[in-house]
Amino acid sequence: MGRTGGVVAALALLVLGACGGAETPGSAADAAAPAAPTTAIGTVEATNYPLAYVVERLAGPLLEVHFRAAGAPDPAYWRPTADQVVAMQEADLIVVNGAGYEGWLKDVSLPTSRLVDTTAGMRERLIAIESAVTHSHGTEGAHQHTGTAFTTWLDPTLLIEQAHAVAAALERTWPEQADLFADHLAALVADLEKLDADQAAATVGAAERPVVFSHPVYQYLAKRYELEGHSVHWEPDESPGAKQWSELEHLRDHAKPEWMIWEAEPQAEIAARLEEAGIRSVVVDPCATPPADGDLIDVLRRNAAALREVYATAM
Amino acid sequence: MNDVLYLAWRYLRFNRGKAAVLVGSIGLILFLPAALQVVVRQGTQALTARADATPLLLGAPGSATDLTLAALYFRPPTLEPTRYAEVEHLAASGLAQAIPLHLRYESSGQRIVGTTTDYFAFRSMEVASGRRFAMLGECVLGASAAEALGVGVGETILSSPAGAFDVAGSFPLEMPVVGVLAPAGTPDDEAVLVDLKTAWVISGLAHGHDDVTAPGAEGQVLERQEDNVVANASLLSYTRITPDNLDSFHFHGDPAGFPVDAIVVVPRDRKSGVVLRGRYAEPGGEVQMVVPRAVIDEVVATLFSIRNAILAVSLGLGLATIATATLVFALSIRLRRRELETMRRIGAPRQRVRAILATEILMVVATAVVLASGLTLLVSRFGVSALRLLGS
Repeated sequence: MGRTGGVVAALALLVLGACGGAETPGSAADAAAPAAPTTAIGTVEATNYPLAYVVERLAGPLLEVHFRAAGAPDPAYWRPTADQVVAMQEADLIVVNGAGYEGWLKDVSLPTSRLVDTTAGMRERLIAIESAVTHSHGTEGAHQHTGTAFTTWLDPTLLIEQAHAVAAALERTWPEQADLFADHLAALVADLEKLDADQAAATVGAAERPVVFSHPVYQYLAKRYELEGHSVHWEPDESPGAKQWSELEHLRDHAKPEWMIWEAEPQAEIAARLEEAGIRSVVVDPCATPPADGDLIDVLRRNAAALREVYATAM
Repeated sequence: MNDVLYLAWRYLRFNRGKAAVLVGSIGLILFLPAALQVVVRQGTQALTARADATPLLLGAPGSATDLTLAALYFRPPTLEPTRYAEVEHLAASGLAQAIPLHLRYESSGQRIVGTTTDYFAFRSMEVASGRRFAMLGECVLGASAAEALGVGVGETILSSPAGAFDVAGSFPLEMPVVGVLAPAGTPDDEAVLVDLKTAWVISGLAHGHDDVTAPGAEGQVLERQEDNVVANASLLSYTRITPDNLDSFHFHGDPAGFPVDAIVVVPRDRKSGVVLRGRYAEPGGEVQMVVPRAVIDEVVATLFSIRNAILAVSLGLGLATIATATLVFALSIRLRRRELETMRRIGAPRQRVRAILATEILMVVATAVVLASGLTLLVSRFGVSALRLLGS
């Protein structure tokens, strides 16, 4: 800027400055005060049950954990109201699954500095899903709405990475509790590594034993343990239509699956008809919502047992 | 002594025109430098306070002053925008909080500031009525902006096109007002605050429309191929975001490449700030990092040199005024020779007559000082608002 420009800027600033008032410097580190260990020192918002569980495991009663989609049939398709978003804005941390799980994130305003995308550090391990149809309008080129498989937590090694991301955010926000978070993280990782080993042992040879997945939510489980599977879109509480049965028959003839893996216990009549077709039913719960019995680790253990049953008896 | 005061007062009152001119000219010559001093001091304080409250700024290379003016005072940005990826890089570094600012659009003359809710906490903003923006398309008004636009919570405002030739670029979006901020005495009072994503919707980078892939949308389809649907001109983007059409809004492209005009960088601590400044110090980079206080100090130095020049001129004018006033008083005494002679003949001692003349001069000067002080006080109280009006 030349001398004249400087003078003009100075005069402009004189006018602009008159608009200003006294301010105090802002700070990024205005998080929480040192805590009394027995009371909640802050609040954390989690967008699915596995993440809420991870936060609770890491912080225990130190943090108040809100999982606002707990009552939704499927938190992946939950949409917060404006009031819920306002409440979430007040949290010290907002822990999200990422991988496209929170489709509503693009529609809401949350403080990015307190938003923790737990899969941001493992983009290369995420599984992309592309929609079949693109569209174009105006001067823009054709585009399609791509997606990403989001049930990352069904792969315990990914859940371990997510837990590390949560722990890092907790330590950043409450550094005085870093040792506690680290201890709890070690215990959680040990549990998940044990689960991973159990599931790996249960699924030996799974690549040669095709199954049917009732819903396309097992991508990470299948990838981790090399499960050979074909996904359909069946609901456990809705009788499949003729087209769906026909599709399954085609699949049975083609891949010869002996098991269908369900998100929840299917209706007895569906299970019976499947049984008649030579396909048995088993539940591997994605556990996106709080289970009626036990916690996430209990559910994942039950899932490991279910997989053991499938691959021990197949063939 | 009362008689001296009385006679001086009666004289000034009788010659009120001459007295008024003298009081006005002396008062004005005292007022101008004093007012200038007050305005410069207040302006400088405000400038440095706003700059002090903004540790670092990141933006496109170019004039650091222009970047600082845009980010701190929401002036129309003159630099090219930088990419949102820079915000992500800063956040990922863990060294600082990064608050993006998008400043390209206005609503009836009020700057639309696209940012995140972090900005509210950073500037310690208080919502006087309503709430912060929470959903795409919502806006929060600064106190002065609400007054200027004549709207409140529950009403709507419309974004303006970016310019006369911007017939197809920006998106005239109708935005519901969900909150009005308490007055802060800062440029934030003049702002229309929206989520950064809403600013991108206005700029056309995101939009919502009917689902052309759905059955029944044939009227809006120009061509349907196996894996692509081409919409015709009847497919219009929504001009208001509602709960019903919110899901249809989508971004075209990777948001990492979307524009932001400036990034407020709040280092976690002093060391982080030094590290960041070192990282962005390389000349010729895609972005520049500036310290607003340093930029403002440079501009304030220019401001002081202007003030000093004006003060020097004022001093010259003051001396000329004093000389003129002295001449006026001297001529006045000469014109009043017969009057003064009469006073002496009826028994007034020479000292008494001199006292009357001195009192007249003192009364004029004292009145001028009172006038100048009053005007300076008014400037210190209301000059800021007047300058704000001039600046807007």
